[in-house]
Amino acid sequence: MAASEKSGHPINRQEVLERIGGDESFLQELLAIYREEFEKKYAELEKAVAEKDFKTIREAGHYLKGASANLSLPALREAAWKMEQAGASSDLKAAGEALGSLKTEFRRLQEFLGSRS
Amino acid sequence: MDHSKKEDSRSKITNRLPKPASSILVAEDDRVTLNLLAKNLRSWGYEVLTAENGQQAWKLLKRPNLQIAILDWMMPGLEGPELCHQLRQLSKPRYTYLILLTSRDSSSDLIQGLEAGADDYMTKPINLMELRARLKTAQRIIELEDNLIKVRKMLSRLASTDSLTGVWNRRKFMRYLKEEFNRAQREGRSLGVLMVDMDNFKEINDRYGHPAGDLLLRQLAQLIRHSLRNYDRIARYGGDEFILLLPGSDNRGTQTVADRLLHLVRQKKFRTGTGMTTALNLSIGGTATGSARDLDPKSAVRTADRALYQAKKAGRGRAVVIDYEPGEKQANKK
Repeated sequence: MAASEKSGHPINRQEVLERIGGDESFLQELLAIYREEFEKKYAELEKAVAEKDFKTIREAGHYLKGASANLSLPALREAAWKMEQAGASSDLKAAGEALGSLKTEFRRLQEFLGSRS
Repeated sequence: MDHSKKEDSRSKITNRLPKPASSILVAEDDRVTLNLLAKNLRSWGYEVLTAENGQQAWKLLKRPNLQIAILDWMMPGLEGPELCHQLRQLSKPRYTYLILLTSRDSSSDLIQGLEAGADDYMTKPINLMELRARLKTAQRIIELEDNLIKVRKMLSRLASTDSLTGVWNRRKFMRYLKEEFNRAQREGRSLGVLMVDMDNFKEINDRYGHPAGDLLLRQLAQLIRHSLRNYDRIARYGGDEFILLLPGSDNRGTQTVADRLLHLVRQKKFRTGTGMTTALNLSIGGTATGSARDLDPKSAVRTADRALYQAKKAGRGRAVVIDYEPGEKQANKK
């Protein structure tokens, strides 16, 4: 179980629960906030990619990277990091790809969480 | 009985809290991290303030009793390092311990953050056990810094007052003099300066002993201090000489203050500490800048000193106020 959780799962539950003292209901609360924030930032990013607004791409990418890291969401963190990099280097193609990864990984997280509850 | 039970449980809760004034600011635009930190800090007994952008954080940072701030590096509005830098420009009465938070990890960032005035630095995701340990260090540093601030205040008081009489010393007076001269010049107002000298100080010392002389200086300083307006300044200039600064006073006002002092001193019997009292005589010299321009503090002191010399020469026990005489440099300019 430990091995699969590390490699494949969108969330490292063990790690994040350790960080918040094993409080499962608090984790649900944090995930609810994360969902809200993600949707907001994702909409911002879609707009920013369409408008080639690299500053917003970098900042929103950075924001999602931090939030994802704190909730131990490795795949989302990775995608957000690529977004931030794309913004920093004004790479529109990379930003578009990162947008796709974010969407995929977010859906995986939703499915995973949905299937558990 | 019900009532006492309630009281009891309440006091238990209070006992568990670490310290009453431990308030922490968490400034972080990522609401996940913000909630995570706030909840844990509260469970550790801290009072938590939160900000979601730089401007909000700046307002809360200025609170005097805020002890610790955890600031995210990247925030809308003001960023973490800039906040650190701005806060360190303020001289707060108590120290605020600053922890910068970032998901960056290159060492140049670390240096930039610390140079901006941060005390510590943590990378996201935050390890809460590590944060807790670092907060303990923070408490220790805050206590040290608070003590330092106290000692610094005490030292600055010691360095600026005359230890015998408790009035300002000459060094501090010269600083006030410069400030008041600049203000007088800026606002186009007059500034009065008085030099006060005890006529019979040497005789008193010879007759009653040096402890009596010290006691007299103290009584005279108190008497003058209490007769002044609260924005006037008095300092001990030398042995038995005091110097007074009277913002807003012209020649006439300065003369009035000098005459009043003479009158007050004449009426008073001064204790010598030997069971006997004695009378004191003063000579006072003064000047006021009036509407003169190109003011120079040293010339004013020199003029007052010259007036004091005239008062002594004319038979002591009197006050002489003369017109301000600009120094040579100023005179040559015209």
